Amino acid sequence: MVLSLNDLIAMLIFPGFFFLILMAFFLEWLDRKVVAKVQDRYGPLMAGPAGILQPIADFIKLLSKEDIVPRGANKVLLTAGPILMVALPLTALLFVPIDGQSAIVDFEGSLIAVLFILILTTQLVLLIGWASANVFAAEGSMRSALQMLSYEIPLALTAICPALMAGSLSLSEIYRAQAELGWPFLAYLPPLGAISFLVFLTCSLAELERVPFDAPEAETEIVAGWMTELTGRRLALVKLGRNLDFLLMASLMASLYLGDPITPSLPLLAPAAFILKTLACAGIMSFARGLVARFRIDQALRLFWTYIIPISVGVLVATKLALLLA
Amino acid sequence: MGLLRWARAVSPWILHFNTGACNACDIEVVAALTPRFDVERFGALKVGSPRHADILVVTGPVTRESEPRLRRLYEQMPEPKLVMAVGTCAISGGVFAGCYNVRGGVINVLGKADMMVPGCPPRPEAILEGLIKLVERLRGIKKR
Ligand code: SF4
Repeated sequence: MVLSLNDLIAMLIFPGFFFLILMAFFLEWLDRKVVAKVQDRYGPLMAGPAGILQPIADFIKLLSKEDIVPRGANKVLLTAGPILMVALPLTALLFVPIDGQSAIVDFEGSLIAVLFILILTTQLVLLIGWASANVFAAEGSMRSALQMLSYEIPLALTAICPALMAGSLSLSEIYRAQAELGWPFLAYLPPLGAISFLVFLTCSLAELERVPFDAPEAETEIVAGWMTELTGRRLALVKLGRNLDFLLMASLMASLYLGDPITPSLPLLAPAAFILKTLACAGIMSFARGLVARFRIDQALRLFWTYIIPISVGVLVATKLALLLA
Repeated sequence: MGLLRWARAVSPWILHFNTGACNACDIEVVAALTPRFDVERFGALKVGSPRHADILVVTGPVTRESEPRLRRLYEQMPEPKLVMAVGTCAISGGVFAGCYNVRGGVINVLGKADMMVPGCPPRPEAILEGLIKLVERLRGIKKR
């Protein structure tokens, strides 16, 4: 395969790595601002206009801090983990149609690949927590693994619903199918699309370990969970990786459920519309962080196994039946 | 190193440790995080792990029980790190100075306190001012 200049620009600048990383920083700022507004605060204010450079300042500061590897910790894993933590979501984001038309890497089955990468990210959390040789880190990563056992199933099942509606497993294809259909899948076959969106949203919150499912890093109970022993560069990379994960889940939501018939054919509006949709999804998740309290890990498991998983199975079956009848 | 100094100055992450305070100082430190005073405006985050922190905020007289823990916490923090003593007790032992179980202030134990905020307890505004002055000094710290 020969790479043209256009491919290179797409890969490295827009909608590739440079843009994605900037977006990830922007999402963190947005997250902190939204939560601050919900709590009637200002949020970051001093770094750049309205504090927009805050995540970048945090990143630079962390890069320059002392690098500590505790005695007994596995240095190789602690070094490789954070790097992979950034690399995996970046790879997955290449499969998402960020420019509103087609992903940089587009193939039949990219949805499955993204779901697979999401599982790998959680495995990394387990590895980092275990390699830290710290009780709090081990406890946090165990909780993370437990949580994964519960949300991974409904996440995959509900992500299949839009794929069924579109008749394709490629993310770009699913996004385009909504344009041809004229309806976003959120409003398709009501209320199936909406229910599956809500389940997907809940599972994303659990996947991102965000409030109310942040038991793996609950700072009031287990210091900082699996991140406890990370310092300096490692922490900076892990934080960036988490933000990229956040961007990934928000853009997945936008491409699976929020397609629209007008913008994908217009060259400049398409990326803008897609990014706006992503920001809206991220905004919903940030809003949730300001509004709700944390589930204990057993409560989270019970919630998923008794309610969310049966609902997701039901939605999947109902979607298939409705499509057969239609 | 202007960029680095700027980054450090706008992102002071704090770790709060109570070495035996009567709890009034703690309430004032927590009040500085609340909407009315909102220390996050200056980029400060309250973190749970000493490995993530830049500034150790100590309240209360250092008791014999908490002395080794204070040392451990301080040693666990990555460089560059700063110590802020909040309240008269944390500075000198305050009303508890000379008690059989009190080692004195932070400075008697760690040998340093980069910023002291006096008061019994200090008001949240005073704590904020202390933090801001400390952060201004942070711009000058050289990388080791
Ligand atoms: S300085 Fe005053 S308020 Fe603070 S811990 Fe000591 S006695 Fe309590």
